[in-house]
Amino acid sequence: MIALYLVAAIAVFAAIRVVIERNTGRKLPYANVMNFAVAGTLVLLLDHPLSLVAAAAYFVGSTLEANAVASTYAGGVKR
Amino acid sequence: MLGEFLHILAAATISWILFVTVDILFRLPEAGGVSGASAVARDIEAGGGALAGGTMMGNIVCSPDASAGTLLAACGVYVAGIPGGLAAALMVFIGNRICHDPGYAGTTGAVLATFVVYAFTQVGFAATDFIAGMVIAILTIQGLSHTHASRLLARLWRIRQ
Repeated sequence: MIALYLVAAIAVFAAIRVVIERNTGRKLPYANVMNFAVAGTLVLLLDHPLSLVAAAAYFVGSTLEANAVASTYAGGVKR
Repeated sequence: MLGEFLHILAAATISWILFVTVDILFRLPEAGGVSGASAVARDIEAGGGALAGGTMMGNIVCSPDASAGTLLAACGVYVAGIPGGLAAALMVFIGNRICHDPGYAGTTGAVLATFVVYAFTQVGFAATDFIAGMVIAILTIQGLSHTHASRLLARLWRIRQ
């Protein structure tokens, strides 16, 4: 039970830091912590084999988004 | 209640050592896997951090690495034991391929973490301790002080070299 509240609190803390941080490059690691915490919360809330698939899908999707944001921020694809 | 809290702290320490070791062995601080990882590293260095540590943090942001592998493996062991952990490793590998990364660090981390988490569930730990522990471990690297975390990672990377 403590695990769930701890992980949810970390998600909120990371979300607040994402909002406060001004620099895009330094925002992304905070968003990464939030994604970890949300994926963990999902499995802790729903104890079912399929919640693992949901957590993995959420996590991979959000990592791909962070990857896309970071690469666009870096200047996108050079042609 | 205190016992569960101490278990979570111990699990956080174990997860931290596991994922940092695997990531450094797989040379994550050496170069950005994608241009975005290098951009994150550049901004962390501009804020007073170390470039090698920043590069590893950028790589963690841009593709599922051993830390993501450890988290999902702990989730897998929680819902379905060792088969769940190995299924998580497969999903991490697919995630790596989607994110344009060879995926060795993430998959190795997930497979190792599956057996580590399972072994600890046999001696009184719960898999949920490792889920919370891994979230705390990633918080210490990515969510508290980028400057200090990147310097620490750069120091560990120099030892590896």
